[in-house]
Amino acid sequence: MKPNCQRICDLLAQYADGTLSDAERAEVQRHLDACPPCQAIAGKECGARQLLRACAERLRAEPVPPGLRSRCQALSCSPQAGHPWFRPAVKFAIAALLIIFTGSLLAIVTRQSDALLAAQLTADHMKCFGLFRPDPGTTMDAAQVERMLMQRFGFDVHVPPSSDAGGAPGTGAQAGGVELVNARRCLYADGRIPHLMYEANGQDMSLFILEGESREPAELTAFGHHTRIWSRGGNTFVLITPAADNSVAAAARYVADQAR
Amino acid sequence: MLQFLEPLFATAMRLTRNRADAEDLVQDTFVKAFRFSGQFKRGTNLRAWLYTILHNTWRNRRRDASREAVEVDSEQVEQAAAGAGGGEPVETPERILMRSTLDADLQAALDDLPDAFRQAVWLRDVEEFTYAEIAEMLNVPIGTVMSRISRGRRMLFEKLSTPAVVVPAEAAGGRR
Repeated sequence: MKPNCQRICDLLAQYADGTLSDAERAEVQRHLDACPPCQAIAGKECGARQLLRACAERLRAEPVPPGLRSRCQALSCSPQAGHPWFRPAVKFAIAALLIIFTGSLLAIVTRQSDALLAAQLTADHMKCFGLFRPDPGTTMDAAQVERMLMQRFGFDVHVPPSSDAGGAPGTGAQAGGVELVNARRCLYADGRIPHLMYEANGQDMSLFILEGESREPAELTAFGHHTRIWSRGGNTFVLITPAADNSVAAAARYVADQAR
Repeated sequence: MLQFLEPLFATAMRLTRNRADAEDLVQDTFVKAFRFSGQFKRGTNLRAWLYTILHNTWRNRRRDASREAVEVDSEQVEQAAAGAGGGEPVETPERILMRSTLDADLQAALDDLPDAFRQAVWLRDVEEFTYAEIAEMLNVPIGTVMSRISRGRRMLFEKLSTPAVVVPAEAAGGRR
């Protein structure tokens, strides 16, 4: 190693980063041109840097466990969270309160009637399968759907996977061949609930999730569809299946068991 | 703050190399961030502040667990790294790397780096923090940050350009 090599090596991090002054950069470059060992080191450092920059976005996109996100969200809403950087948001607070107030009103109104809930969601079920039915054979990966629902709409929900997706061990053929075919944001209340679309034995099924809402269990029929309402873990689930069709009973049980 | 959750979790994964620990660490970071939010100076970098809390929390936790100090393995590796680099000039290193480095390989190679080097390289090349910000997060002088970045990058390159050694079943099992 030449006497100058150590000095040059000390500058290589900045050389690879492009943060050296022009003069320093020229000096490093002159040395590298004349010193193959240092050139090899610089090549490695620049190569690693370039590779990491090229992959940075993907490396940073580590799927966050849904529970963690909701816990952190809860923390940010705790009374402790009165902070300098939230102050600019104060003017939005009134707007947010208004939205929450309106939402609460809607919730109160809708809670009055399971029949109304069933009717609205059945209508949505029929509309979505009418408009957004995917091509035959299309199935979706539950984990990807969860991610999409979180990223696009902020829904933090568990999506029951297709029964043969391996995500539900032990269910096998008893699960009635349920396939997750699509997921949407449902236009119920103020348009904020997840709608998961399934197919089983050629029949359409929908699972709606009302986050943070509890209801008494209920089963009823609307528009020729069967609606089952139940609550678990602080959420309410609404499962819509074709009425009087026993061929989907196993599939319906599977989805209901998987919902949480 | 929640907009930083995903990259923060990715950073925690590289720190802990364990999903459950990473989840725990990020949650602790948020608890502290909200509790000490009064200490955050407006106009400074909120993202850097969060990462500093994350790294402090991790250091404290490791100290509490009285696990091996970071300096021990970094010293060994600094010696090892000092010996490296004098070999044959590598032709077009970028190409060797870019050729077919899968994300998984890259992540594995990163995870394989000694903690001190992995942290410095990650914070610089993935998160693009400045040397000064990284120095604060890792609680070391700027010069140390730069040398760790330098050597970490070199080690990472070497790990990636050395093909994994596949041991044939016969050799492994001693069947003959």
